[in-house]
Amino acid sequence: MSDMSTGKQYDAGRYEIRVEGRLDSRWGAWFDGMALTPESDGTTNIHGPVLDQAALHGLLTKLRDVGLPLISVTRVRPEPPVVPSIDRR
Amino acid sequence: MSRPRLTERLSRGAESALTLISAAAGFGKTTLLADWLATAPLEGRSVAWVSLDERDNDPALFWRYLLAAVERAAPGVGAGALALLQSPRPPIEAVLGTLLNDLGAVSKGLVIVLDDYHVIDAPDVQDGVAYLLEHLPAQVQLVIAGRADPSLPLARMRARGDLIEIRAADLRFTADEAAAYLNGAMGLTLTAVDVAALENRTEGWIAALQLAALSMQGREDVEGFIAAFAGDDRYIVDYLAEEVLQRQSEEVRCFLLQTSVLSRLSGELCDAVTGQDGGRAMLEALDRANLFVVPLDDRRRWYRYHHLFADVLRAHLLDEQPADVPALHRRAVDWYEQNGERSEAIHHALAAEDFARAADLVELAFPALHQGKQEETVRRWMEALPDEVFLVRPVLNVGYVGALMATGDVTGVEARLRSAERWLETTEAAGDLSDMIVLDQEEFRRLPGQIAMYRAGQALVHGDVAATMTHARRALDLAGAADHAGRGGPAALVGLAYWTTGDLEAAHRWYTDGMASLDQGGYRADVIVGAVALGDIRLAQGRLRDAMSTYQRALSRAEASDPVLRGAADMHVGMSQVFQERNELDAARHHLVRAEELGEHVGSLQHPYRRRLAIARLVELDGDLDQALDLLDQAERVYDTDFSPAVRPIPAVRARLWVAHGRLDDAREWVRKRQLSADDELSYLREYEHLTLARVLLARSSAEHAERPLHEATGLLDRLLSAAEADRRSGSVMEILVLQALASQERGDTRAALASLSRGLVLAEPEGYVRIFVDEGAGMAGLLRAAVKHGVGGGYARRLLAAVRATPDDEPVGHDVIERLSIRELDVLRLLGTDLDGPGIARRLFVSLNTVRTHTKNVYAKLGVNNRRAAVRRAAELDLVSPHPDR
Repeated sequence: MSDMSTGKQYDAGRYEIRVEGRLDSRWGAWFDGMALTPESDGTTNIHGPVLDQAALHGLLTKLRDVGLPLISVTRVRPEPPVVPSIDRR
Repeated sequence: MSRPRLTERLSRGAESALTLISAAAGFGKTTLLADWLATAPLEGRSVAWVSLDERDNDPALFWRYLLAAVERAAPGVGAGALALLQSPRPPIEAVLGTLLNDLGAVSKGLVIVLDDYHVIDAPDVQDGVAYLLEHLPAQVQLVIAGRADPSLPLARMRARGDLIEIRAADLRFTADEAAAYLNGAMGLTLTAVDVAALENRTEGWIAALQLAALSMQGREDVEGFIAAFAGDDRYIVDYLAEEVLQRQSEEVRCFLLQTSVLSRLSGELCDAVTGQDGGRAMLEALDRANLFVVPLDDRRRWYRYHHLFADVLRAHLLDEQPADVPALHRRAVDWYEQNGERSEAIHHALAAEDFARAADLVELAFPALHQGKQEETVRRWMEALPDEVFLVRPVLNVGYVGALMATGDVTGVEARLRSAERWLETTEAAGDLSDMIVLDQEEFRRLPGQIAMYRAGQALVHGDVAATMTHARRALDLAGAADHAGRGGPAALVGLAYWTTGDLEAAHRWYTDGMASLDQGGYRADVIVGAVALGDIRLAQGRLRDAMSTYQRALSRAEASDPVLRGAADMHVGMSQVFQERNELDAARHHLVRAEELGEHVGSLQHPYRRRLAIARLVELDGDLDQALDLLDQAERVYDTDFSPAVRPIPAVRARLWVAHGRLDDAREWVRKRQLSADDELSYLREYEHLTLARVLLARSSAEHAERPLHEATGLLDRLLSAAEADRRSGSVMEILVLQALASQERGDTRAALASLSRGLVLAEPEGYVRIFVDEGAGMAGLLRAAVKHGVGGGYARRLLAAVRATPDDEPVGHDVIERLSIRELDVLRLLGTDLDGPGIARRLFVSLNTVRTHTKNVYAKLGVNNRRAAVRRAAELDLVSPHPDR
């Protein structure tokens, strides 16, 4: 079935999507709960966790459909997880 | 407003196959196209317009809409393809082939428009469109409009000048157009400076200008508005929609937000969703105020919001009243369900994340969708449902299995069957069933048999014969006496399983039983298609006469229906095979022509590849090896044995062709790739390959004068003979004996060679086999001479000897005035007498235009003419071709 049920989450991570124009923060719910931060250069940074590549493309399609000019898509490296030392015996 | 700079460019592009209108939402793509095409009838062109939405990712739906639109534009065109779409697992390539044939014959221009093509992301559909585009005849033009470039080789088409493009930069309003629009269409009175400011801020984006104009209508301080707008850096649509929304009454604003969840709006539906009255009046008022509603029909019953505006409304709704959204969707579910539109109801139930409700609806919708072959739609819905809902819904779960298997996917099937089965066991144990959800009780009663049958089908796909038999027999036990479909399916599966093992008698018996049940159940078309398998089994048994009567009986049944039932074309191919074995090549050719005249849509799933194989054989006998190999490549591309075992794989057929024409290196490469060896364990499924290996070894032995390959071939043939004799597969036995005879001859042991040959002749004579001997050429000629000399085989051997001598070069020629025309040349000649143009003939014969030109040149030369009309006249004088050779 889906990748979820097999426990794999391909390319899950945080993304920053920059679009031209200032976007009201109310669009956050529309963009699946992403946070919207207006930047000083008149662009908007849409950022937050993205489930997988399919979800990312879904977001980009929504942007396309409202005609927002896309400037950049950046994957934000997550902080290296703190790995507790586990006795692997 | 008209935009001559763009429409003129579109009209100039009428020569190129593809016109692409690619730009973001709100650039006026659809409006431009509609304007341009409004004048198409005046230019003698008709228009087939398809507006797409997400649901059209199901190939069955997509092609149905497209074919229906084409048929409306050009009556009669696409009807055959539409009929073909109704078949189980419609072979899209055959559907498109039929459509292209029709399109090739339309005399006036046709424009096919695919609007909103960006919603199509299904690779199956995209590939089909690419194929269509690649083969489009000159008088047909494809127009694709959408928000993203389609996955087509655009750069290549651009370079070749095959592509006309209109993109955002072209669609933007120029300053003049903006002025004409704002001051003309929208009735404003703006100065040139104001227009320039707006044009600058919106960059000519039409949707934004439209919103701006609406905001300004009836406003006192237009200049102030423009200054504020131009100085603001907010997302344009956001800013402007806000302006528009703010100026609406609370009642209108509320209506707009609540109904934004709907993809279509009618008064009644809006009332159901808002819980208020007056939806219809509201929509009409919005329409009059030009508030971004688009009427969907002439009677103004259905509307939709402009896409951009709808998105802004939904963003507002989600932000302001997120908790209300599911309830709004649920009310839409209720309304659509009451009004019998299940698929819309399912869409809203999924949007409401009311999965239980969605699952109920899908279960009830399933039988109709299954019948309509909308397996992809079913799959998409099922995939949107979380796993839990299936756990308590056995009928839905098994329905999912059916949809998966119909689209050729067996992943996860077993787990689903097991899950459904647990409920059945609970039922039997009279346990607690209160958690189980079943809406379709009749399907629930059939479930045990269905589960067993799907298991059998799955096992057959995995090549597990024993499991296929076990499950199929269980399905038979479970099916009620009157459940003819429930009995016929499993019985046929048992037959196919026996066939896979090589037990042909049991295979024939079971399969015949299965067909009898289906016949009683009224599944006539399935019974006709079933004759393909029965005929194949007869051929493998070496029973040419029985195979022939199987085909004849099925054909007369198929022809007794109007229109002729599917499978009829297969029967002609089968009969052609029998005639070909008997060396009655004219009759063999005639039946292939008949199959072609019927069209591929009157054939089974296997027909496209089988027909090409049969043509390849005749073309090879005609001496055109390249053409034959090309046809094998085509056959491989459309290869689909349905559920029948792949007993004659195309690569092995190709290897035989190579061996027969001295391309031994190619054939050896095939042996290496298939990792075949004379010591392999034998199985019926690989028999054809092993017989081919024996041929490669024999050819090597005579080319290299080597001992070892001959030795290996002899050992392999001995083992193959024992296996084939044990199962009484006389078709194989005869071929093995022929090869043994040749091997003995190669060893110089004429006595052993004649002994093998003699046994082969005894089996072959009553059935009238000829080619199985004659195909072996010079080696066999020598053996037959020896046979005649020693009195082996009697008159039959003498007749075979005469046939060897007659082929291929000194075969008597019917018309000594002309050089003999090849089969392909005759095909071309026949089509020269039709209305088809060169590309049309090429498509019909599955060859390139160049090949057709070569054939045409040869035909002219042989007939002593220099143009098409003269060729057709000469052909008629010589009685070379007739459209219906049988009458």
